[in-house]
Parts: sequence; C-alpha cells; structure tokens
Amino acid sequence: MMGGVQAVFYREMLMLVRRIGGLGYLFSGLLFPMIYLLAFGWGLGNNISVAGGYIAYLAKGMLAITVMMNAFQQTALSVSAARFYYRTFAVLRLSPISDGAIVLGIALAGTVRALLAAAVVFIAAKLFFGIAVLTGPGFVGLVLTAFAFAAFGVAVGLSIKGQEQFSIVINFFITPMTFFCGSFFPIANLPEVVQDIVRFLPLSLTNQLLQATNFVGEAGIAALALVFFMTVIYLYSTYRVHNYSEF
Amino acid sequence: MSIIVEKICCSRKGRAILQDVSLMVQVGEIMGLLGPNGAGKTTLIRLLAGLARPDSGRICMFGEDAAKRSVKFRRLMGLVPQENTFESELTIEQSMLCSARLYGIANARAKVEAVCREFQIGSWRKKYPEKLSGGMKRRAMIARAMLSSPQVLLLDEPSVGLDPDMRQEIWQAVKKLKAAGKTVLITTHYMEEAEKLCDRIAFLRAGQVIYQGTTAGMRQKISPQQEISLEDAFVALALAGRRTG
Repeated sequence: MMGGVQAVFYREMLMLVRRIGGLGYLFSGLLFPMIYLLAFGWGLGNNISVAGGYIAYLAKGMLAITVMMNAFQQTALSVSAARFYYRTFAVLRLSPISDGAIVLGIALAGTVRALLAAAVVFIAAKLFFGIAVLTGPGFVGLVLTAFAFAAFGVAVGLSIKGQEQFSIVINFFITPMTFFCGSFFPIANLPEVVQDIVRFLPLSLTNQLLQATNFVGEAGIAALALVFFMTVIYLYSTYRVHNYSEF
Repeated sequence: MSIIVEKICCSRKGRAILQDVSLMVQVGEIMGLLGPNGAGKTTLIRLLAGLARPDSGRICMFGEDAAKRSVKFRRLMGLVPQENTFESELTIEQSMLCSARLYGIANARAKVEAVCREFQIGSWRKKYPEKLSGGMKRRAMIARAMLSSPQVLLLDEPSVGLDPDMRQEIWQAVKKLKAAGKTVLITTHYMEEAEKLCDRIAFLRAGQVIYQGTTAGMRQKISPQQEISLEDAFVALALAGRRTG
C-alpha cells in the first residue's frame, strides 16, 4: 500500500510545485487570514479580552482557519476539476493501487499544502506582530485538522455533481465553522445551547489544541476526538473512491 | 477468451444506454466497436475499464470481474480515452513517470525511455500538453497506457480529428500491439480504420449490439447480392435504426 501512497503523493506534489510557481497562489492563500487578522485585530482588539492578548488569540484562530480552508478547498477543487474538466482522476482510478492509498496520497499532499500556507501565516504573524503562536498540541492539532479536511475534500470532490454544489458545502459547513468555532472569539461568549453544539465541531477542537500548552485534560480529549473525526472521514472518502463512477 | 461481456444493461437518469449487450473478444484480437453517435460505445468502454458500473450483467477480463475493480483487474487493462488526460501541470515525461510509479514499475525512468523510443516520442516529451498537437498527445497517451504492458488495451476513438499521416502512425502503433499478442478493443467512426485494423467488429445501435463478425460479413449481411462499401453498410444499419426507432 505504501508504494501506492508514495506514487500518488509524488504526483500531487509535482503538480503543487508547478502551481506554487505562480506568486498569486502563495499570496492569495495569505490574503484572507491577513485581512482577518488586521481587520478584526484593529477593529475588535480592544473590546475582546482574552488571556495573552487578542492579537495572539486571533493569530491562532487564523492558523486554524488557514489550515481548514486550504486543506478542504484546494483538495476538493482539485479533485472535482480532475473529475469534470481534466478527466485526470481516471488516471488514478485505473491504476492498480488500493482505494485507501489513493485517498491517503491525496490527503497527505493536501496536508502538506495546508501546512505550508499555515507556515506563511505563522511567519507573517511573527514578523508583523512579533508573536510566536504555536505550541506542541497546537501543531498536532493543525496536522490532524489538515489531514481530516483534505480527506473531506476528496470525499466532497468525488460527491458533488457540479461546481455549484461546492458552494453549498462551503456556505452550510465551512463558513459557520469559520465564525463560530472559537477562531475569532472564545466559544464561551456564545449562548450555552450553541456552545454545546459548536464545541464538538472539528475546528473547535483545533482551536482548543492551539490554545493548549500540553495534552492534559480537555486538550487530550480534543486530540483524540480529532483523530476519530479524521479516521471516519478517511474511511468515508475511501468508500467514495471505491464507488467512483464517471456517470 | 480475453474479454467476456454478458448481458450488460446500463441506464442513466432513467434512459437506457446499453441493453442486453453481450460480446466476446479473443486473446490477441483487435475488435472494433462501431455505431452512430450516442449508440453507447464510450459507455461500454467505461464499463470495461471499471470507471462505471452496469445496472446488470457481467464483464470479465481474463477471468477477473470488472465490478470488483480489483488491483489485479486494473493491472490487466490500459485505457486511452477520447479526451486528453495528461495533467496540465506536468510535462509528458513527468506524467509518464508518475504513471510508471502508480503501476509500481521498477526502474521507471528506463521504462519511460524505452516506451518513448518505441512510440517515437522525441524531445517533445519535455513539453507541457498544451504545447502539443492532438496527434502527439494521442500517441503519448497510447504510449502511457502501454507502460505497464497491459494484456488488454481499450482505445476510444484514437484517431478522431487527426491528420491522415498521424492516423496512419496510430494504426501502426495498434498493429504493433497486436503483433505483441495484446488484445485491443477500439471504438471508431472511420470505416477505413475498421477495415484495416479490426479482426472483427461489433455494431452498436441505440445501446444494442445488432451485428458481430467481420467487416466483410457486415457488408454481405446488408447487401448479399451486390458488393457495397463498409460505409454504405454502416449507413444502412444506422438508418434502419432511425426508421424503426
């Protein structure tokens, strides 16, 4: 299986290197988190009090959002385009590697892509605001989140029947998580009923890990929950690859 | 037997695309799939490649069930679809190297070199697909499909839209495959292609196989008394479908 994973990963990375050659790819990935960081940092910084300061809190939230958006959006778009326009997904589907290896290879490449984007945000936060935002649990959280959302991107890319369906997933799932899962303000500020729902969403778990300094207590449970999410999504994506049909 | 297609039915959005299609292709044979547009040729190729599933019926390749989509099944077969499937971000050579890796070919670079030599793919393999002509891409796609030395090659309209000289080159490549003992299933709209390349043909109309045999047999069937061209026989069979349909 690992030979197949390596082959898929190698192919995806070659394509990424070609895409990343264009500066637009790099800067467009950086633009959104930086706009959020500046706009919310300047606009709301004085009104929200959190331990360690609001800019540091927000920078962590931006890392979580960057990883989620990049891992999901780039992977889903790439897989759906390979299905609908370029017809290159068939190249993978026809090759003699297992369905699980296809998902693993693509999701690992999506993870690397998302972590590279997060690294740019991390460096920008350090350069412009002088804040070092990453702890050990935070890094683990980002890696797990990147893989889970990249695998989710594979499943969505293979499930949607047209590009317009992609915006449904963004509007109903990704955007609410962006704003309600503790990236811009602590979940504790939300009504209790909403808190009970939101705290179990993957991005809330990521933010929880980003704020933690060790895996003791709730952070450990959050990490395990993310591993659980990641496994379920990986299995579902593998199922989607198995049932892939060009009709 | 190389390929066995048994009573395949396939529909999409409530419309029947293939109805009760049965075919047999022998090892080392070139079988042509003929028929008017919308007859179901490309659908049948996709089913044979395991890229879609039929509603009912069975497809076997060297005893491997297509529905199971096993790794062994995928090793048996190479597909050259109608459209370009080279990754736009990769050069032809990079795409071929990636394919070699996907098929677990040891010494991938040497194998790519050998296949490129065989199919006369010169220095243009360092170029991106957008810089190449349709014929070059088509030849490179056949070469890529042959990297893993599959037993069966499925070619979906390999020479459509090509210049006559490029078409001749594709035919030579297909003949080489037959000489190497490979089984080839080819869909085509060119009667000359069917006559020159195919050992046998199957004529599909409205999702049904209405003739299976040699090209000479098809001409004879349509006009037993007078010798006619394969194109005339094709038109007669296609038109008969429109009248009854």
